[in-house]
Amino acid sequence: MDFWEYLGNRHEQLLMDAWQHASAVFQCMVLATVIGVLIGVATYHSGWASGLATTGTSVILTIPSLALIGLLVPMVGLGVPPTVVALTLYGLLPIVRNCVVGLRGVDPSLVDAAKGIGMSRLARLVRVELPLAWPPILTGIRVSTQMLMGIAAIAAYASGPGLGNEIFRGLGSLGSSNALNQVLAGTLGIIVLALLFDAAYVLVGRLTIPRGIRA
Amino acid sequence: MSDDPRSPGRPGTSTDTEPEDTSGGTPGDTSAEDTEMAETRPAAARPPRVTWRKLTLLPAVLVVLLLVTWLWFRQADLDAISRNALSGGQVAKALRQHVELTVISTFFVLVIAIPLGVLLTRPAFRRAGPVAMAFANTGQATPAIGLLSLLVIWLGTGRTAALVGIIAYAVLPVLSNTIAGLKANDPTLLEAARGIGMSPAGVLTRVELPLAVPLILAGVRTALVLNVGTATLATFGGGGGLGVLITTGITNQRMPVLVLGSILTVALALLVDWLASLAEVLLRPRGLEAGA
Repeated sequence: MDFWEYLGNRHEQLLMDAWQHASAVFQCMVLATVIGVLIGVATYHSGWASGLATTGTSVILTIPSLALIGLLVPMVGLGVPPTVVALTLYGLLPIVRNCVVGLRGVDPSLVDAAKGIGMSRLARLVRVELPLAWPPILTGIRVSTQMLMGIAAIAAYASGPGLGNEIFRGLGSLGSSNALNQVLAGTLGIIVLALLFDAAYVLVGRLTIPRGIRA
Repeated sequence: MSDDPRSPGRPGTSTDTEPEDTSGGTPGDTSAEDTEMAETRPAAARPPRVTWRKLTLLPAVLVVLLLVTWLWFRQADLDAISRNALSGGQVAKALRQHVELTVISTFFVLVIAIPLGVLLTRPAFRRAGPVAMAFANTGQATPAIGLLSLLVIWLGTGRTAALVGIIAYAVLPVLSNTIAGLKANDPTLLEAARGIGMSPAGVLTRVELPLAVPLILAGVRTALVLNVGTATLATFGGGGGLGVLITTGITNQRMPVLVLGSILTVALALLVDWLASLAEVLLRPRGLEAGA
């Protein structure tokens, strides 16, 4: 069976896996973005705290994904929970770091002006500082997403959802005529998803980056 | 970080996926102590490159982690399957294989990526640069496990396929780092070097490469940390390593085996990152430091 025939025969299963892969990565990215921006907002004022946040998240990133998933299995079991926890943790670093860098990079005179026209602390943050820091945060989200695509594939070994299952099925049936098709379908599927997400972020950037600071 | 004024504004000295803080567990220590010293000491006296805390904290944490694991294992009630998976020096063998995979692959990554990066920034090949970068970016989207599986199907199971996969996966980030770093060198310095009559080879070996040392070291660190991680996947292609313990633990549902494999991998990754961060600080040319 050649690759195209394989795709034709299995397209339902493959689309299902691709959908689950994309949805797992997307949901974890939303979670990681919310947590990451909160950590960034909470720590950017103090050099010490933001150093701690960046170091903490970068230590997580140093831990190999298979090992982290391995440590999570005894705690939360197999399947979706370790996948979600691992993906969210790995997604944090680029977002926290870029959020801190972005918020620090906001021109203090602008914040001062916002204070001068009577904006509250919260309004300054939501209407001035975060919109100005949004481009670097969005870059962090893009970097995280690319990374999570690959890590989600590994999470399939702990019975996680997604296209990684296709790859592991292929590895499990090495030597059979379908092994190459399965691995190829899983790998190419993840690359296509990663590129689609990247294109979507370019679009999101066009729509959400304030007109005044667009390059 | 704080004693290198070039690094913040310099693209590519660390990849986006690479831990940026060199201390791996000592938050903000260098910056805090450096500024303190800058205030209390005359400008001529340089702060020490390696602070005491940086030197001791991570090893201490690792020792505690391994000690706790060992104590837990002494009292743990292991059944026959777990004992089988851990007996007869298999843990030591997995650890040794893992270190070998990491060291060999890192060596080849550097030997391939850094000269290639130098080549792609030479005028003759400069046009190929963007193409290589675009290729590298697409390559980043390839999942490591998929790449490794394809290589296993192509080359057969065993260590070769695992090594090729690990190397291929780490070449791209180190390559793009090297290119970005060499491009960020101040063109006026290169102009000056050419102006005093240096040959292109002289400019490269005596100006560009020394200036690129921090970047090359960052590349070494990136490659090492990435490779420790990718080497855990070698087990899926029969390449051995600590991943064997993790996968055995998951498939047989034996948590002690799984946890031991995971903890050893984490400890190895943190240790390697710490060693590389020390090398980064110690080997940086004195001339690139603040105040020099």
